[in-house]
Amino acid sequence: MQPGFSLRLQNRLLELDRLADTVEAFGEAHGLSPKLRFQIRLVLDELLTNIISYGYPEDGEHSIFVGMGQDGSLLRFVLEDDARPFDPLSAHRPDLEAAVDERQIGGLGIHLVRTIMDRVAYERVGDTNRLILEKDID
Amino acid sequence: MQLVEKENGEITVFELGGRLDSNTSKVLEDKVMEILGQGKKKVLMDFKEVDYINSTGLRVLLLALQQLKKIQGKLVLSSIKDYMKEVFEISGYTEIFPIYATQEEALAHFS
Repeated sequence: MQPGFSLRLQNRLLELDRLADTVEAFGEAHGLSPKLRFQIRLVLDELLTNIISYGYPEDGEHSIFVGMGQDGSLLRFVLEDDARPFDPLSAHRPDLEAAVDERQIGGLGIHLVRTIMDRVAYERVGDTNRLILEKDID
Repeated sequence: MQLVEKENGEITVFELGGRLDSNTSKVLEDKVMEILGQGKKKVLMDFKEVDYINSTGLRVLLLALQQLKKIQGKLVLSSIKDYMKEVFEISGYTEIFPIYATQEEALAHFS
C-alpha cells in the first residue's frame, strides 16, 4: 500500500485550511521536508482556489476529490471535480486593468504550479475535470 | 494572519505572522492603504513568523510596491523563511524587492 491521502472538499475557499492540515499531517508523518510540504500545500491551494473560484458559475454545493500518493521518489496528485469543463491550468484571474503588470500577476499562481511540479496534465473525462500532477523528489 | 505595526522613525514596520493567502491578505492590503493615507512612504515587512504565502499574498506585496513607487516610497522585505524563498525567486520578486535576512539589516537599507 502506497502512502498517501485523499479527501473530498466542498467548493468553499475556507475548505483549503482543512487541506493544509491534511498535507502538514501527512508530510510530518512521512518525513517530507518543510520545503516540500510547503510546495505541495501551495500547488494544491492555487489549483483548488481556481476550481472553487471559477468552476461553478451557478455556485451550489459541490465536492472536489483530492488524492495524493507516494511511490518511492514520485509524488502523484489527482484532483477531480464535477465543475463545468474547466482547466485550472489555463485559468487566470479576470483582470479589468489594462496594465501589462496586472496581467502577468493574474497568471502567477499557475506559473508557480508549473514551475514547482515536474509534470501536469488536464483531461476531461465524462462529466469530470481531472488534473494529474507529478513531482520527482529525492 | 497576525499583523503588528511599529514605527521606527519614518519607517513603518509590519511584523507579519501566520498565513498570507486568499483568506488573509486583504488585512495587509487594507493596512498598507491606511498608512499610505497617513503619508507614510517607508515600509518594512518582516516575515519572520509567516509560515505560508500563496499567489494572492504575493500579489498584495506587488500592489503595495506599486503604490509606494508612485509616491517615491520604498518597500523592503525581511526574514523570509528558507522554504519560501523559492517562490519569491520564481515570481521574480527577488529582482524587484530589496530582501534581507533580518529586520535589522532591512532597517539599515533606509539609511
